[in-house]
Formats: sequence, C-alpha cells, structure tokens
Amino acid sequence: MTHSLHRCGRIQEKDFVWLLYHVKGVNDQNLVERLRQAIAIIEEVGAVNWGDVKSGPIVKVSPAEIKEKLTEKSRIRGVFTSRDQVTEFLKKMKAADLGFCVIISGVLDQVFSSCEKAGVKPHTMNYSLGVFGNKKLLADEDTLAITTMCGHHMIPDDFVTETRRRVKDGKVSPEKASLEFAELCPCGIFNQERAKELLILEKENPSTSGKKG
Amino acid sequence: MKIDTEKCVGCGVCLPYCNVGAISLQDDVAVVNDKVCVECWVCYRNQVCPQDCLEPSLLTSPGDVFKHVLSDPTVTSEGTGVPGRGTEEAKTNDVTGRFSADSYGICIDMGRPGVGVYMRDVEKVAMAVAGAGVRFASPKETPLSGLMTDIRTGKICDEYLPVHVLSVIIEGICKRESLGRVLEALLKVEKEIDTVFSLGIVSLSVGDGDEPLFKTLRQHGLEKPKRGKVNVGLGKPLYKG
Repeated sequence: MTHSLHRCGRIQEKDFVWLLYHVKGVNDQNLVERLRQAIAIIEEVGAVNWGDVKSGPIVKVSPAEIKEKLTEKSRIRGVFTSRDQVTEFLKKMKAADLGFCVIISGVLDQVFSSCEKAGVKPHTMNYSLGVFGNKKLLADEDTLAITTMCGHHMIPDDFVTETRRRVKDGKVSPEKASLEFAELCPCGIFNQERAKELLILEKENPSTSGKKG
Repeated sequence: MKIDTEKCVGCGVCLPYCNVGAISLQDDVAVVNDKVCVECWVCYRNQVCPQDCLEPSLLTSPGDVFKHVLSDPTVTSEGTGVPGRGTEEAKTNDVTGRFSADSYGICIDMGRPGVGVYMRDVEKVAMAVAGAGVRFASPKETPLSGLMTDIRTGKICDEYLPVHVLSVIIEGICKRESLGRVLEALLKVEKEIDTVFSLGIVSLSVGDGDEPLFKTLRQHGLEKPKRGKVNVGLGKPLYKG
C-alpha cells in the first residue's frame, strides 16, 4: 500500500486515501468486531470506494460479503472525495477510540487542515519526494494519474491508454471506463469519481497527453 | 503465467492487461515471456481471456515464489504474515515507535510507478544507501531483507538478481545527520539503473516542525513535499518509549 503515497496528476484535492492498520500482538485484540465498528463509521461518512484486499473492493463485492469474510488478516482501506469527509471520519474515529492506526494520504495542507478541525494531532509523516531514475520508461502523465490510484499498480498502463482512447472515440463513457479501472484494484483505494473527472477533463481540455510522467 | 496455445485464437485481448509487457502475439497466438512476467496475475485474476487460456505457472523456484508474493497483493508473505510487500513505514509508528526523533525512515519503492524492476537494480540501490548509513528493516518487517546475504551492506543473494518483479520496497532507517549522504547516494545511483523508484521519507515531526528536513532537501535540489501519508496518532496503546 506504499504507493498510496505517490499519487500524481490533476484533481488531487478530491482524493484522500484512508487506511486502517493494526500490529500483531499489540492492537489486534477482538479485531474483527472492531473492524465492523470502523466500517460502520466509514459507511456513515460515505466512502466512494473501500475494501479488504482479501475480499475485494465494494465496486466488485458487496459490503455485506466483505464484512462476512473479515478475518484476522483483513486490512481495510478506501477513499474519500472531499476534505469534509476526512474531517468527519477523523472525528468519528477519535470518538470511537477503536485503537487502530489511522492513515490519511493526500495533499498535505488539506490533510493537516482536516486533522486540525477534527482535533487530532499528526504523529508520523511519510513524505512523497517523487520519482527518480530512468523516467523515459514511465507512461504519460494522464495514464499515471489513473494507474497511481491503485496502491499496488494492478491497473496496467497499456489498459489505461487503450481505455482512454476508447473514451475519446466515444466507445465507452467516462463513467463506465472509470468503473472498469476500479474493478482491477483489489484493495478499494481507487477513486473512480476522480478517474471519471480526469477522463472528462482530458476529452474537454487535454493537458499533457503524451508527455512522460 | 502460461497460455494454452492450443486454445488461444490470437485475439490479443490479454495483451493490455499485462503490467510489464510480458505477453505478445507470435505466430498468431499469445505467448508469455517468463523472464519478464512478474506473476502479478492481473490477467488471470480478472479472467480477461474469452477462451480461458491463461493458467498460473507452478511456482517452484524461490525466485518465482518471491516475485509472485511481491507482485500480487492478494498473497500473504510468509516472513511478515501480511499480504503484499508488507512494509511498516509510518503506518503503525504511533504504536511501534519504530521511527524516533533522531532518525528518518527511507522508503524506496523500486519499479514504481508501473515500470517493474530487476533485482540486480534493487541491489545497486540497496548497497548505495547502505553505504551512506541506512540500516535495513528486518526480514520480519519486510520481505526484501529476507533475500539479503548481508543486511548491513544490502547485498542480495545472487540467485535472485535476474528476477523481475513489479515493485519491491527498500526500507530502512538513517540518523538524521546522515540524510544528506543518503540523498547524494540516491541522486548518483538513479543514473545507474534501468528502472525508476518512488521515494518516501518518514519523519516523526510534521509540518513546519520538519524544517530541517526541508532544508536538507532544498540543499540537494529537491522541493518541499506536497503529498504525504499522515499517521494521525489514534493507534493504541500509544508507544511511549
């Protein structure tokens, strides 16, 4: 899930990944019941996508099935589309005091603002310093904006490039295309709303199509 | 991954579902280059073939098992007991106290985004940062360390060097005063590898409290970070040292 750190491209202000962690032998007691309580909070706030990597994301598997299949090995994570949702989520998680390690990945000044409003004090940071090495090997920026929304790069560059072409040619709608992407990400942090907006934006206002990331 | 060439009709539907370009059409059927294939199983897991030609390879060599564990996030690593690459970074620092006020965490996500990496390039980068003062996470914390013959130097077992994976994380800790040397080592070795890496720095301080970090970054031509993962400190019991 490290790669939830390194999302790139346009419209990042509507894209906040949340992740819940536990440590074996430290805060994993009564895990499944606590996860169910956390999921209840997430459903109240309204994540556009979330999942358990062992079961899949809600765009593919029903929330009821995910909850039924929760185990000691489950890891729940997802994505919000607004800073207000992040604030509400943090307030509720603080009040519930479930003991999970809670991570928010996003544009820093926006995440900090939500933390302040929610009354939580950030503990540890993982800063994204960007990409290094032979960058000529990278896909173009518009493709990367979509592929980097999967924490494990399970959405292949070539599939995104081909789908973007199908959207431009009118063979598939941005909404349907974004769901096709979301279904390939097994953990539930893919933001299909942002993907849809990126595809619409690209059709109406190409930015750097073809430019390497 | 294998393709049943008796059943394959050469439609090419599977090709764009390969993360690393390991599938190609040859003599009107699809074939997999098993030296390039990273066993991520995107093609198989999503049942993309209309003729049902895709079959997972029997993974017998340690290298094949390793690349599958690293590249398929639904698989659990034996060493760490968690799915995927299983690194800790900042995620649980509020309860583990792994990163302290006198250190930085270094997270080098080799092969990301979407390029893939051969382990020989992973070794180059690991040895470069080890030489600059990075101490690597243990095999219980990260799968990569389990492959090192010497965790102090970052030397990886020769058997694994030709292995191609989708990505793998080099994770370690350095003293704060060593960060400059680590960045110099990375800026040098990035020119010597045939892949990319995404770089993360873990720090206990946040926001303007990280001004010394930002100053070191500026000194090495790197911008103040705009994105990050924030551990918001709700984990219990809170590590007190």
